[in-house]
Amino acid sequence: MEFRKMTACRAAEAVNNGETTACQLIKEILERCNVLNGKLNTFIKIAGPEALEQAAAVDKQVKSGQKLPLAGVPVAVKDDLCCRDLPTSFGSPAFKNFISPYGAAAVEKLTDAGAVVIGKTNLDDMGIGSTTTSSPAGPALNPWAPDRVAGSAGAAAVAAAQCLIFLESDSGGALRQGASHCGVIGLRPTMGRVSRYGLHTFASSFGQIGITASSTDDILAALEVISGFDARDASTALYREKSAEKNAAVEPEIIKIGYPTAIIALLAPDHRNLMERAREDIEASGFQLTDFKLDLLAEALRAYYIIAFAETSSNLSRFDGIRFGMADYAENLDELYYKSRRLTFGQEASRRSIFGTFILSQGNYDRYYRQALKIWTLVRREFTAVLDQCDLLLMPAVRTLPQLVTEQIDFCRLYEEDLFCAPVSLAGLPSLCLPVGEVDQLPVGLQLVGRPFSEEMLIGAASRIIPEIKFPPNVIC
Amino acid sequence: MEYEVVIGLEVHVELLTKSKLFCCCPNRFVAEPNINTCPGCLGFPGVLPQLNSEAVRHALTASLALNCEIALYSYFDRKNYFYPDIPKGYQLSQFFVPIGSKGFLIIEDDNGKPKTVRIGRVHMEEDAGKLVHAISGNTSLVDYNRAGVPLIEIVTEPDLRSPGESRRYLEQLKGILQYTRVSDCKMEEGSLRCDANVSLRPMGCPDLGSKTELKNMNSFKAVEKSLEHEIKRQRDILRSGKEVITQTLRWDEGSQATIVMRGKLQAHDYRCFTDPELAPIELTEEDVEKARAALPEMADVRAARYVNEYDLPEYDAGVLTSSHGLADYFESCLELYNNPKVTSNWIIGEFTAQLNSTGLEPDQCSFQPKDLVELLLMIDQKLISGKIAKDVLAKAFQRGTSPRLVVEEEGLLQISDQSELEKVIVKVISENPDSVENYRGGKAKSLGFLVGQVMKETEGKANPRLVNELLLKIIGS
Repeated sequence: MEFRKMTACRAAEAVNNGETTACQLIKEILERCNVLNGKLNTFIKIAGPEALEQAAAVDKQVKSGQKLPLAGVPVAVKDDLCCRDLPTSFGSPAFKNFISPYGAAAVEKLTDAGAVVIGKTNLDDMGIGSTTTSSPAGPALNPWAPDRVAGSAGAAAVAAAQCLIFLESDSGGALRQGASHCGVIGLRPTMGRVSRYGLHTFASSFGQIGITASSTDDILAALEVISGFDARDASTALYREKSAEKNAAVEPEIIKIGYPTAIIALLAPDHRNLMERAREDIEASGFQLTDFKLDLLAEALRAYYIIAFAETSSNLSRFDGIRFGMADYAENLDELYYKSRRLTFGQEASRRSIFGTFILSQGNYDRYYRQALKIWTLVRREFTAVLDQCDLLLMPAVRTLPQLVTEQIDFCRLYEEDLFCAPVSLAGLPSLCLPVGEVDQLPVGLQLVGRPFSEEMLIGAASRIIPEIKFPPNVIC
Repeated sequence: MEYEVVIGLEVHVELLTKSKLFCCCPNRFVAEPNINTCPGCLGFPGVLPQLNSEAVRHALTASLALNCEIALYSYFDRKNYFYPDIPKGYQLSQFFVPIGSKGFLIIEDDNGKPKTVRIGRVHMEEDAGKLVHAISGNTSLVDYNRAGVPLIEIVTEPDLRSPGESRRYLEQLKGILQYTRVSDCKMEEGSLRCDANVSLRPMGCPDLGSKTELKNMNSFKAVEKSLEHEIKRQRDILRSGKEVITQTLRWDEGSQATIVMRGKLQAHDYRCFTDPELAPIELTEEDVEKARAALPEMADVRAARYVNEYDLPEYDAGVLTSSHGLADYFESCLELYNNPKVTSNWIIGEFTAQLNSTGLEPDQCSFQPKDLVELLLMIDQKLISGKIAKDVLAKAFQRGTSPRLVVEEEGLLQISDQSELEKVIVKVISENPDSVENYRGGKAKSLGFLVGQVMKETEGKANPRLVNELLLKIIGS
């Protein structure tokens, strides 16, 4: 099999009509995956025996005449999504041996559709961050430039064809920035479209499960499988109500895409040029273009972080050493908390917990948290107003190229990287990151942002814009 | 100086629901620890809360029964603090917007006059687990069976002015919550818990004095006693010119005294913020009106109806309506048997005696209304005497069989056969010539003795009225 040009849809077709078997497919990709992992460090765990067992079950179903939409498709899962019977580390040494007794809803829907989980991918400590530099396993490397980080290990895995579909969380932009850095397509759906049951998220208001793949068809196929109401996630009730508003086929002529002339000025020249070229390409594809501006981006970024810090301090409280987290001998309860949380939390998790605790404390709640909530409302309004004028918004996804592995970057500067992604999370809108070109021979993507539950339109539009997906030239395999 | 007592009560009540507040675990007491638990109520990462709508209905019912205004839009907030009995590191509670507010209850004050006690708020929250401290050694264990059990907290304004008023408030509250079947309110089992805030102020002073908080009172009597104790303590302090220290005290049943629990009333900073994982609770006017219409008749209304409709003495009406179950039992009997006073006598007397000795509730015992009615009909039909009926009731209750079966098995049918009774009477007369003489000599009492002898001979089965009649006829002739 030539995985470099393989799509998930094509693979499923081949398995369904007997050209190959899931076992064959999985066996081959596991070999490839293992070899490349030595170079890229994308996987924390490659679940060979388990994947082959799953593949055999898929083959059995196919043999019995069933057509599975993702038959035999090798899928990778970020390690903050729980998989039944596979360890889930959350990127923390404290969870080295944690095997959850439940599987994430989205993962189980994928496997029910015939997909095979081949492993869990690398991530930042407690899933916090979009560089993987704080991972206990060391950073995942970019297949385009191994001296740089991938941002998202799974995006790198998709780019290097270690898997065909990757399921991961996105809060402030990890999924979208990873897709941009690795030259693949990443979709962050609207909150409520996909059940988050089984996703450990540090910020419940923003943590959402998305899909990364190398073709829009694959994104759509996976989205159809994983979306829908789930009683175990209250947010999915929204989608059930609104599911009737599905978008019809995408005709460029009737779609108005907003272009953020004012925002472009914030970009470095290379990135600005890329954005302008993309504008021309989009116009050439027949879409209508119109100008839009967002005045609250900087405020939105700060509001996002304030709320995310607050939620982090609360969401991570359960790792107190009593049931979870590394327990240590202690003379009394306070000492137990102190010791075990010190051992369990990495630097960023500690930092955000402390910030969040401060933000929510008496007096500070009004000063910071309540203000952030107000900005949240204003940002939502601003996006809604803009999306009254346009169907889709074109926005940058990243400000810079992926950092060098050796680079030490101040945490505030890392937060600033989320300037274009975090506000979209705050607004609760769906966003798709698509590759549009290169800067210094490294891929760069842009975001298409839509109205709530307009994922089909995003995917449809992206399919008309995306040039041929390039394969990283350095990956020889 | 004369002081005015100011008391406010905080009552926690466990709701009678099938499952816990945010997961599907059963809400019922089991002795074995950590049996009623799941990843949800154990705070496993990635599991989201699912709100139990039955609990919301109960909270709504209770709020309406307590004359509260209903918040059509409310939600749950996180109260963040560390303690091993809260698995998530926070307790979900309606901190900002309670479902019910501005309610009231009317009680009797110490002079027997009606008095309004304002209820500030009724809100839902989840219960914590239980810590079990090892008798020897320095370990503590946690039992999470109770974690996530739905509670409502009912908080009064500082309107109570004496321990007696406080007790009457609690009794009234308990009656209402039992009547509406919101809770079983068993204080000894912890399904009703009460904390009291108490302070003294000079008569006529509008400002509140420094208060203390009383905890660990396991019965209404204990509440009354601990308040009396605390009021005396505070009064002594004030009279000696010192100041009352704001602190939390624990009532010690053994020594019948309050003991300081926490040196100072710790101003806990719970860092509350609205839970981002649950959807808000949205009620419609229609929901509220439906719940209002479904409110059962309250005890006082019901008692008044018994007096008016059934001509029962107030005492009977009061006792029968003191528990929902007993009143329901009474009314079920009346559907089959139209003699309210006789029914009431038997329920208040023998039936209640059996309930008390077995500790069962009316709907838990096998002696159902149809059984009591069967018994009463047998008395009416002169098949058994009232005296024997008492015995039959006890046996039927304890054996779980019908009264008729007891009567048949034990051969207790009343002898109403005239010729059979005449034989016995003749025998008794011949054996007691003195009594016969005494009677004829004017001692009416002697007749009673002779009746007694006949009853004895027949093992109580003779129809006493018939015996009387026949004796008079025979002696008189």
